[in-house]
Amino acid sequence: MNPVSNPILEVENLGRRFGAFTALEGVSAAFGEGRITAIIGPNGAGKSTFFNLLSGALKPTSGSLRFSGRDMGRVPQARFAHLGIARSYQITNLFPRLTAHENVRTAIQARTRRYDFWSRRDALTGLGTRADEILDAVGLSGRRDRTAASLAHGEQRALEIGIALASDPKLLLLDEPTAGMGPEETKEMVALLRRLGESRTILLVEHKMKMILGLSERILVLHHGRLIADGTPSEIQTDREVRRVYLGQSGGYGYA
Amino acid sequence: MDPGFLDLELIAMQLFSGVALGAVFVMLALGLSIIFGMLGIVNFAHGNVFMVGAYAGVFVMERTGSFWAALLFGPLMVGALGLLIERFLIRPLAGRSPDDPLLLTFGLGYVLVEGVRILFGSDGLPFATPEELSGVADLGIGFFPIYRLFVVGVVALVLVALWYGLERTRLGLIVRAGARDPEILRVLGVDIQRLWLWVFALGIALAALGGVLAAPMRSVNPEMGNVVLGEAFAVTVIGGMGSLMGSVVAGLLVGIVVSMTALFAPEMASIAMFAFMALVLLVRPQGLFGKPGLGV
Amino acid sequence: MQTLDQTVVAAPPKVPRRSPIALDGVSRWRAPLSILALLALPFLLPSQALAVNVLIYGLYAVGYNLLYGYTGLLSFGHAAFFGTGAYLTGIGIGAFGLHPLLAMALAVVAASGLALVIGTVSIRSRGIYFAMVTLALAQLVYYVALQASSWTGGENGLRGFTVSTIDLGIVSLNILNPLTKYLFVLAFVGAALALISRILASPFGAVIEAIRENETRARACGFDVERTKLLAFVLSGLFCGLSGALSAIHLSIVPLDSLAYHTSGTAVVMTLVGGAGTFFGPFVGALTVLVLEDVLSLWTPHWQLALGSVFILFVLFLPRGLWGTALGRLTALRGHR
Repeated sequence: MNPVSNPILEVENLGRRFGAFTALEGVSAAFGEGRITAIIGPNGAGKSTFFNLLSGALKPTSGSLRFSGRDMGRVPQARFAHLGIARSYQITNLFPRLTAHENVRTAIQARTRRYDFWSRRDALTGLGTRADEILDAVGLSGRRDRTAASLAHGEQRALEIGIALASDPKLLLLDEPTAGMGPEETKEMVALLRRLGESRTILLVEHKMKMILGLSERILVLHHGRLIADGTPSEIQTDREVRRVYLGQSGGYGYA
Repeated sequence: MDPGFLDLELIAMQLFSGVALGAVFVMLALGLSIIFGMLGIVNFAHGNVFMVGAYAGVFVMERTGSFWAALLFGPLMVGALGLLIERFLIRPLAGRSPDDPLLLTFGLGYVLVEGVRILFGSDGLPFATPEELSGVADLGIGFFPIYRLFVVGVVALVLVALWYGLERTRLGLIVRAGARDPEILRVLGVDIQRLWLWVFALGIALAALGGVLAAPMRSVNPEMGNVVLGEAFAVTVIGGMGSLMGSVVAGLLVGIVVSMTALFAPEMASIAMFAFMALVLLVRPQGLFGKPGLGV
Repeated sequence: MQTLDQTVVAAPPKVPRRSPIALDGVSRWRAPLSILALLALPFLLPSQALAVNVLIYGLYAVGYNLLYGYTGLLSFGHAAFFGTGAYLTGIGIGAFGLHPLLAMALAVVAASGLALVIGTVSIRSRGIYFAMVTLALAQLVYYVALQASSWTGGENGLRGFTVSTIDLGIVSLNILNPLTKYLFVLAFVGAALALISRILASPFGAVIEAIRENETRARACGFDVERTKLLAFVLSGLFCGLSGALSAIHLSIVPLDSLAYHTSGTAVVMTLVGGAGTFFGPFVGALTVLVLEDVLSLWTPHWQLALGSVFILFVLFLPRGLWGTALGRLTALRGHR
């Protein structure tokens, strides 16, 4: 693993226990800016826990988490978005009866106004324009006025990312962005992620190996809550421990 | 008479009275907790089911003259009603907002109250303490009403039976697993709908049993259910929703708090109960035995 | 470069394309339109007293709807705010000789303060507890009022503060005149509706709806969910307190029932029957329930059975309420944009 200078995100010996159960333990890594990194591992490896820790939904029971040099141990979850970390969810987590436009605009609003009872929010055109820009960036301009619940699955996944983009994050945590998508939709998503990766740091959890190998510059492999490998795609593909874990589990690298 | 001695006896009696009162709260909270733990719904008709139970007891008493028959058949009859309620009113709401069963049972409460008024009239009905259980027993530290001893005994029996059923039987294992994670049951091929049906009926029967037990101790009238609902909620909130241990501890605690308050300031007894709940909430929002965390 | 919307096949939506919560252009005019409709009410209903009750309970339901329909918090203890508004208005006028408007203002402030306290205790509990806790805390207020009978009249309710005229300086309103009373109440209700409409259309309104739609996501976006809920709770308590104050002026007595479970339930029933999460729905609900009560009680003393059954039917088959369903059909008819 190459040392990273000025890492945007650093975890040191990060761990999380739930009573007697250790979901994650001793994970150390530093992430540089502007890279796309994938987190992979069999089910139950601790990927979701890792993400929950990085996004502030859970607090670590051991180790530390630093974002842009700042220790995030005591920062409440709601502040994470304000500091530049945003995440999307594996199971679509939208505002169902609001339109796609409103979904994104509400998320943008979180960073701007505080307890404004009086202005007409429709008149705050700045928010609306920015929301439309984001919808455009994720390819949902044509679906602007449809309720989130009425969107097709692939569109909902794109909206998931749109909401995460609303806070203009420096670090994007994407939890299985292609969950439930077929090959065509996955290709679209990969193209979108590549576009986004040009200006942001992205960490993504995924199962689709072919997609990850093509997209990410670096891959972390988790197993039973521990980090067992960390390197470039070619390094990971030839890593013996990784092969043992995956071949032992499912006889292959999972579906592409 | 030595005033010090008198005080001790009075306190002991009042404490015991609190335990007897608490026993009824325990019955109520148990049913609520079981229904919530398994089906995830808050039964807003629970107080009125308690009331219907008391009336069922009166009904059986009148027909058979036997308190024991009332104690057995009252809850069974109301439990059967619970089966119908779950099957036809609550099951259709599966998959919808968790507020919906709450709202439905709330409406059901009105139907139950009015139904009882139609069948039994609006005035209170007397329910005499059965002969065999009236009078007091001398337990050394004081004279305790036999009926209240009986109530505590019955509740203790029910608790033991529940504990045994949950911890030692296969069915109990399924119920406990299902309360924690309904998905597991689906995977194991358990018929969840039937399970929910019977668990709901059990919760209802427990409330009804509480009603029959309480009938000789308080006035039986159509409004008693609404009064008791808030109390049942306070106890469940204090104990922690979904926790059976919590129902027991909280029920007894609240009974004692109310009873002891009645000793010094009887008019403040009800206020004391809800104030106690508010205090617990401020210190421990999930209840004494509840699990912390956000959301349902 | 291909974009997602060109390749994805749109699945037929089972959920309405657009929620009936705001009809776009119309929503700017919802307050004035509502007031206009309410102006016509006394001429459409058989009795003035019924019309005033529709206003009062409609406002009560609107205040409740702010918390339930828009923020998604199901409270079963709102009688505490209605009753506090009513009692303190009566006490202010009867025991302290205050000008009715001053008494009302103080009562509304008190109801808001109570909402702050009750909200603080109940919001920190887990989601399912909320309904139970609010119910129990309202019971606490009920018992306190029952106890403080020297102030509240206890079981018999508060009497002895009849208001026949309201002195506004330049003019004196004779509210024994039914029409004058109606317009007096409507003035407050109208102002409240305008305020609520403004609040709902504000950025704050967007936040409470986001909380209703998905609380976890709202928190992850960076909103202070707990504080926002508390604010919504206090605002709700404010408007419900106002409705209680108006009720006291209207009836010249405050029954202990104002603080009872049944009154809390009334807010829920009216809001659901009318349409939770719609602007005018609660008034439709109040009108429907009050008329139903009047009609049914002529027919049988057991009208609560019918009302309870109707409510159950609504929960099962018409959960969006009368107005909500109508709006939903209307937007579906308008088609896609």
